[in-house]
Amino acid sequence: MSGRINYVSWGLAALGIILLLLAPLRIADSPYIMHLAITAFFYAILASSWSLLAGYGGQFSFGHMAFMAIGAYTAALYGTYVRISTVATELCREIPFFGRWLVILNPIGVTQDGQTCLDLAKPTMPPGTVIVQPSIWWGVLFGIIMGGLFGILIGALVLRLRSTYLALFTIAFSEILRAVISAELNITRGQSGLELPPLFPNGVTFFGYTFSSTSKIPPYYVMLLFFLFTMAFMAWLIAGRFGLFIRSIREDEEAAAALGVHVVRYKVLLFTITAMIAASAGAIQAHYIGIITPNILLILQMSLVISMAVIGGLESIVAAAIGAIIIEFALELLRVSFDIGPFTVDMTTWRLVFFGLLLMLTLRFFRNGLIHPIILYFTRRGVADETVAKRNVKSEM
Amino acid sequence: MTRSKSMRWLVTLLAILMLALALAACGAPAAQETVGEEAPAATEASAAEAATEEAPAEEASTEEAPAEEAAAPEGDVIKIGALAPLSAPGAVVGGEAMVDAMRIAEDELNANGGILGRPVEVVIADSEGLPERGTAAMEKLINQDNVVAIGGGYHSSVGVAAKEVAHDNGIPVVFAETWNDTITSSMLPEIFRIAPLNSEVSAVDVRFLTSLPYPIEKVVILTENTDYGIPAAESTTSGLAEAGIDATTFTVDIGTQDYAGIIERVRAENPDFIMVLATGEASYNFEQQAAEAGIGPQDVPMLCNQVSLESQAFWTNVPDGNDCFVRRVGLPVDLYNDVATSFAERYSERTGKQAPESYALEAYDSIMIIAQAIEEAGTTDPAAIIDALENITYVGALGEITFPVNSSNPPDVAGKDPKWWHQFPNPAITIVQYQEEGQDSNDSPVVFPEEYKTGDIVWVGRTE
Amino acid sequence: MDNAAILGWTLLWLVVWGAIGGIVTPRIYARKDLDISDAPLGGAIIGAAFGPFGLIPLWIVTPGFSMRWLVAAGMVILGIIAFAFSKAYPTNLCVTDGSYVTSQLANGLVIGIIYSLMALGLTLIFSILGVVSFAHGEFYMIGGYVVYVMSTSVFAQDMSPLVWLLGAAVVTFVLGAIFEVFFLRVMGTGKIERPVEYAILVTFGLSFFLQYLAQAIMGASPVKATRFWDFPVMALPSAENPWFLKTTKGSLTLFEVIRIPNARFTSAILAVILLLALMWFLYRTWQGRGLRAVSQDRQAASVAGINPNNMNTLAFAMGAMLAGLSGASLVQVFSWLPQVGVPAAARSFVIIVLGGMGSLPGAFLGGLIVGVVETMGTGCVPDPSRAAAYMPAYGMIILTLTLLLKPTGLFGREL
Repeated sequence: MSGRINYVSWGLAALGIILLLLAPLRIADSPYIMHLAITAFFYAILASSWSLLAGYGGQFSFGHMAFMAIGAYTAALYGTYVRISTVATELCREIPFFGRWLVILNPIGVTQDGQTCLDLAKPTMPPGTVIVQPSIWWGVLFGIIMGGLFGILIGALVLRLRSTYLALFTIAFSEILRAVISAELNITRGQSGLELPPLFPNGVTFFGYTFSSTSKIPPYYVMLLFFLFTMAFMAWLIAGRFGLFIRSIREDEEAAAALGVHVVRYKVLLFTITAMIAASAGAIQAHYIGIITPNILLILQMSLVISMAVIGGLESIVAAAIGAIIIEFALELLRVSFDIGPFTVDMTTWRLVFFGLLLMLTLRFFRNGLIHPIILYFTRRGVADETVAKRNVKSEM
Repeated sequence: MTRSKSMRWLVTLLAILMLALALAACGAPAAQETVGEEAPAATEASAAEAATEEAPAEEASTEEAPAEEAAAPEGDVIKIGALAPLSAPGAVVGGEAMVDAMRIAEDELNANGGILGRPVEVVIADSEGLPERGTAAMEKLINQDNVVAIGGGYHSSVGVAAKEVAHDNGIPVVFAETWNDTITSSMLPEIFRIAPLNSEVSAVDVRFLTSLPYPIEKVVILTENTDYGIPAAESTTSGLAEAGIDATTFTVDIGTQDYAGIIERVRAENPDFIMVLATGEASYNFEQQAAEAGIGPQDVPMLCNQVSLESQAFWTNVPDGNDCFVRRVGLPVDLYNDVATSFAERYSERTGKQAPESYALEAYDSIMIIAQAIEEAGTTDPAAIIDALENITYVGALGEITFPVNSSNPPDVAGKDPKWWHQFPNPAITIVQYQEEGQDSNDSPVVFPEEYKTGDIVWVGRTE
Repeated sequence: MDNAAILGWTLLWLVVWGAIGGIVTPRIYARKDLDISDAPLGGAIIGAAFGPFGLIPLWIVTPGFSMRWLVAAGMVILGIIAFAFSKAYPTNLCVTDGSYVTSQLANGLVIGIIYSLMALGLTLIFSILGVVSFAHGEFYMIGGYVVYVMSTSVFAQDMSPLVWLLGAAVVTFVLGAIFEVFFLRVMGTGKIERPVEYAILVTFGLSFFLQYLAQAIMGASPVKATRFWDFPVMALPSAENPWFLKTTKGSLTLFEVIRIPNARFTSAILAVILLLALMWFLYRTWQGRGLRAVSQDRQAASVAGINPNNMNTLAFAMGAMLAGLSGASLVQVFSWLPQVGVPAAARSFVIIVLGGMGSLPGAFLGGLIVGVVETMGTGCVPDPSRAAAYMPAYGMIILTLTLLLKPTGLFGREL
């Protein structure tokens, strides 16, 4: 694991990163492919952080999408209800804020012609009043913090729970969150979804090029860079003491504790870190998509992330990420129908049937996933790594 | 393991937070507006709108795709996009019916020599009933398949989100079955709708209830917590309140199966009339379980959900649903025009269903009206199609469709609410009643409104 | 003070003291080197019930927790909530109308019995294989579809509903057995590093697969089977005054208060019969005894000549069959879709965790409790726009509380 620098793997990684960075040169004129790529990065972040949680840490949580949703909803609620005004509205809840007023709008629910307190206040406000929707990046930040807080909470609550119990608890957490978001529609607008401004509402200028707010190129790079950043961060974590400790906790909690690993601290930290990663991905993606609904919390969506990680390779964040990217593209591009003789096969439904089958078969016959062995083949060719040897010994037992 | 090591992690986390904070601090405000002197009541520009104003996206993108089309040789396929929910959690039944209807439209167009002499292809995209997927599907239709216009559309939440994508790309959309008022009231130049407005549908329900010669003091509404159900229940409640009728709304999650607890509550309210605004299997489950518990359509007058029009599914799922009232969009069968009749025939042939559902009629019309608009525009340029749509007079399965409130007659000039923008003003909405077990909804008498009436009401409620 | 706020403050009081009790008590017990396995639950219950007046004596005396005292304290909590509720919402039907409460309770018990049948299958699987099947809901869904298909097909529609049920049982049993042999048997070979996680994921994959397969084959239109039989129309003691029992073809009324629709009644009766049959099987047949032996001690059982592999297959197949039968009897109650299994499976998870994983009586009792909580929640929560919308959450709250306070459930073994 340690010490041996493998030039092949570094080379491949660098090549991959350069390809991803340069890809927009080829695909920028197809916003649909760009959209798929952005969504694929989003899923790659989720799948790889889940593989850190489940594959490395052994915590099979089904609540990863819940953390994602917490990030997204925090950003959305912030964007919907927080304004800064130069003049007090006298109608809304407001607090002085560096010489201005931080205005909290009142929720108006899903009624079609409701007016917020700000709408009502506007006619009475003096001319020249400036009302600002503060930067969305604050919302993303609050989303990350909120995700982290919930990560600490859930991480602390599940300390005693293992495997099945943990899975059930996290499902319950996710379902309760979904029920709350769907039912409290006065605030969350329920199934109608909360709308969010785009990542760069006023467009963005970069190296002399100006991109409009609807251009796919800035979100592509935001998501890609964030993806690369989280991958690097997680790889750094895994390579260090943290990775060693969480793996020791996975293998044997008591033994790890006996050897001096602070099990409680590291488990909670693991939940917190992965929750924050998921939350930030959620917040960015929500801004990119522009709308967020509680349906992202359906078990189905969680199962998609899990399947991506499993098919890619559970015990490698890189494999999980590549798996996610490939599967996102495959599932999207398989939406075709074709004719076999007199029958029309609509792949829109069948693709998911095959996907489920693939998941089962991968688990059964390729325990390390489909991508991970390929990576290993390229990076460890000829290297009699001790872990490989260990694994062989284990399977012979 | 030492404390200092774990401190390192905390420091790292903090550092990341600080980094993000710095980023946030640098970020420009998302949207800004100034309360001006002339227009102090200016509506708050949402960030999305503000952005599109700055970028002349409409003109720019309208040139790109069609420029290729125009240069292309004769015989090049004209692609019309279509949104429909074809996977869960979307309403797959509705989506599949719409796809069938749109395929019929495609076949018919091609059989009649295509549009502008060129073959037509209807490209279907699956919205999955999810706004985020709907926008992706829209994106794909416009940018990958290079469609010139888009029809279909079922879920309101999808429509609300997808309309922005169409607007950004300047591609016209004729929504077929999305009732939410905001779709038209945001007055986007590209968005047309041939489905009724949610608020208008509620108004019909209220008119129906108040026109009844029976005493109705208490109404119970069962609705779903979606962007169709909640606004519908709210506007119905306020309409009923104006008429002096008290209404209690029960909201359910769409996945709910067991309604026993709710049904006891509904019974305790002692309603004179029950309205089911929850769609899909939720409505079937409620109606049948209410019938089994003794407050079904045969015990208390009940407006069953519009999905009940699909007679076969209705009678399978609600065998005790006789005497149900059902709201129906589109002309009654005996007033079908030639277009509707011939479409209905082909639809039955293709699907084995006895008659087209209202969303099938709407889906068919949404494609055909686009075809006629392209024909009238004489080009596939989206801007020209939008122009043609604004001035169109199309006779289709729903009747004669026009969009009287448009850019030459905007709402403030016409004295209309913005929701009438690019909106088919008078889709026929009727109330039918199942009066025999196993009856087909098309054979059931229309009991409201007067001008379409074909039979008398069977009233199961109190008459005093 | 606003009336409704009474309830809010009461709940806050309960939660705060419950949390304090649940967190502090184990530490105090641990410091005194006492058994802490029941301490979080005991501390939380006593804290919630008596607040500081219960906790401080508890922390000083640190007695052992007896079930009797905990149940009594639990009753006190329920009493406090009920009292606060009646003060907060004096006009709520659950406060004013006894017959309304009775009928809601009856509804809850009837549906609870039906739920528990499905949960029994899940708990049976857990007790033998030590895993939770995430595909349980899909067997339930398939059971229902088999009955629907048979009841509408040309050759089986005139047969007795018992044949349909048998068909559903056979199909789900065989599917369960095949899946176990191909995908779960490998767990016993030691080739899988983390077998429980493997089982979670692979059953998850199965659920995905079966759900979409059903959608591809059956379509997404809701279907429903007709009810299996009609009640004989009667009235007791007399037609003029049927205060005891009155039936129509489709429903039955007891004491003029409790109405049970035919389809539900049938399902509940079927569930009871199947439950008894399962008990008979487990306690009176060789195979059943073998199952119990394996669940108690794998190695000892295999020494005694029981092949644990076969028992695994049998247990999984029977669990799937129980889910299938539960679906088969409910397809006449609910409209059926490929997705119906998802909430049903979630509910089964709640039930077996509450009852204690692997415990059969626990699953039964848990089913009744979940049934009652769901109906009472829907029936009593004052805001009509929230009462039903929160229905999926009621069970999940039970699940979270159980896992936090007593992960072993009511009758569970140690973790």
